[in-house]
Amino acid sequence: MTQWREPFAYDHAPYAGRPKIEWPNGARVAFWVAPNIEFYELAPPPSPTRAVWYRPEPDILNYSMRDYGNRVGFDRMADVMAKYGVRGSVSLNVAVCDHFPEIIERCCELEWELFSHGVYNTRYLYNMTEDQQREIIRQSRETIKRASGQDLDGWLSPAISNGETTQDLLAEEGIKYTLDLFHDDQPMPVKTRSKNRLVSVPYMMECNDVPVLNFKNISPKNYLEIIKTHFDRLYAEGEESGTVMCVPLHPYLIGQPHRLHILDEALKYVTGHDKVWLATGREIAAHFEANYYDSFTDWMKPFNPEQPA
Amino acid sequence: MSLIPDSYFDYPLRKKGMDHDRYAARYLRDVPAFQWQGGKTLLVWATVHLEHFPMDMPASPVKPIGGMDRPYPSVWDYSTRDYGNRVGIERLFKVLDKHGVKATAAMNSALAPRYPYLMQEIVKRGWEVAAAGVDMGHLHHSQLTEEVEKALVTEAFATLRAASGQAVTGWHSPSHSQSALTPDLVADAGAKYLCDWINDDLPYAFHTRAGDLTHLPLSYDLSDHKILGLQNMPIDDYEYQLDAAFDVLLDESRLRGGRILSLSLSPWIIAQPGRIDALDRLLGRFLAADGVASATGEEIRSQWDALGIA
Repeated sequence: MTQWREPFAYDHAPYAGRPKIEWPNGARVAFWVAPNIEFYELAPPPSPTRAVWYRPEPDILNYSMRDYGNRVGFDRMADVMAKYGVRGSVSLNVAVCDHFPEIIERCCELEWELFSHGVYNTRYLYNMTEDQQREIIRQSRETIKRASGQDLDGWLSPAISNGETTQDLLAEEGIKYTLDLFHDDQPMPVKTRSKNRLVSVPYMMECNDVPVLNFKNISPKNYLEIIKTHFDRLYAEGEESGTVMCVPLHPYLIGQPHRLHILDEALKYVTGHDKVWLATGREIAAHFEANYYDSFTDWMKPFNPEQPA
Repeated sequence: MSLIPDSYFDYPLRKKGMDHDRYAARYLRDVPAFQWQGGKTLLVWATVHLEHFPMDMPASPVKPIGGMDRPYPSVWDYSTRDYGNRVGIERLFKVLDKHGVKATAAMNSALAPRYPYLMQEIVKRGWEVAAAGVDMGHLHHSQLTEEVEKALVTEAFATLRAASGQAVTGWHSPSHSQSALTPDLVADAGAKYLCDWINDDLPYAFHTRAGDLTHLPLSYDLSDHKILGLQNMPIDDYEYQLDAAFDVLLDESRLRGGRILSLSLSPWIIAQPGRIDALDRLLGRFLAADGVASATGEEIRSQWDALGIA
């Protein structure tokens, strides 16, 4: 029988009987917003694995759609978040620090976290050697430090284009948390080849404006319902053990005038609940690592018998 | 050896601003507050796409927006689209006339000799004619030679100028598809504005080898093509999104300065019997608000250019 390849980046963990996660101040849900602040190159070098643009270059339609986020959408989105006291944890193509330093300045003024989403969203990790991926991680660390003074703690692979050992490399390079795994509604230990700890933090594609609005063509009003009902369930389950809710955003979509009200109403709804911890990705990962990483690791062992090599 | 060469990690264009020289980086938030003529804050720009979809049009290298869905000869696809040039446009004339809206007719030039009645009605109403290429089978893309593309641009402007008697200063690339040279060729042909990139809510200067054009914000995500055609949403969702956009832009126009609400309309889509009333309701609501007026693309361009804002 064919032996399938599998990276085995995490162990199995049933969503029942888990050690109880308690968030600060008795919150049931750690709620975080992850704006993706991106730069898509008009004429990127080709990728051996995936066409970068949809149309023959220059694909001005798709390039300019994304450019809207930086020119127009970002400020609108940031205004609404500030109105509700919600900080962003920015999934950042770090080249934005060079192209649009004004955007980074405003993120810093708002005390948002910056983490890496690669250099450009048109540069995938596909086909890269480990050293080349390390180069991207190190460049990200240097650029974010230079532009904001912040340490690089979090990672979302650009266009989620990870390789088989990307999670191992992240741990080895000192990254604290990864968003590449969509397997859970709570933080989890990630299994890597090094002794360094890496935490996965939930990043929810179900509530991500790109798949919802661009791929599935769901109406904005239904997007708002998705966010509310998603939150309701996690808030209810968080009474038993703390859950995480993430709303990943792209200013080129959510910052358009016909969609901005979704964000306003969603944040009004979430912040209208008292047992919500308005957190950043870094804060969620750190709280889990300090309090639950060991207990979860021990608790998971019986569910993961040794596999034949 | 890696499939990714070392040069991949050189970033010659990684610097402040854009990675091309067509326009400068600008944040809408930084545009100084201004009002449109007559103290208006929000201009509604209705663009009516008059399109000719040839039955044997190619589907590559750029898939045309609204192109044929079935193999040749698809009378279904062809006649559905041509419906707009017969029935749909008449409904649009009525609704826009009712609200006193003069539209920009973004026309494929092939329609001028085919349907002279259309051009006659457009000109009679004082609508603006803008050039939108030759037809939907002739999209602009980088696999065209400059000579071939130049012939398309020249043909479009010459035919529409002759048939309309207007200066024809606007250009829209069919399906928002450009080659790397399209803006230069359009400027060579004497255009003053174009409206293909969907990166802003206000005009900006667009650089070409023949001097600057003004780039106007023609909506795409809010177009009937996108919402009703590509995304298959019911008309309620179209009306809801246009209403939401209006609310945000009107507030912003009062707080931060002039704005534009672009209505990108295709007669074969929005002017179906079950949809046209939604447009009627939207225009009624928009134009009843204080500080709102309608304008054509050329009117917006000339007002904008006179403001002297970068």
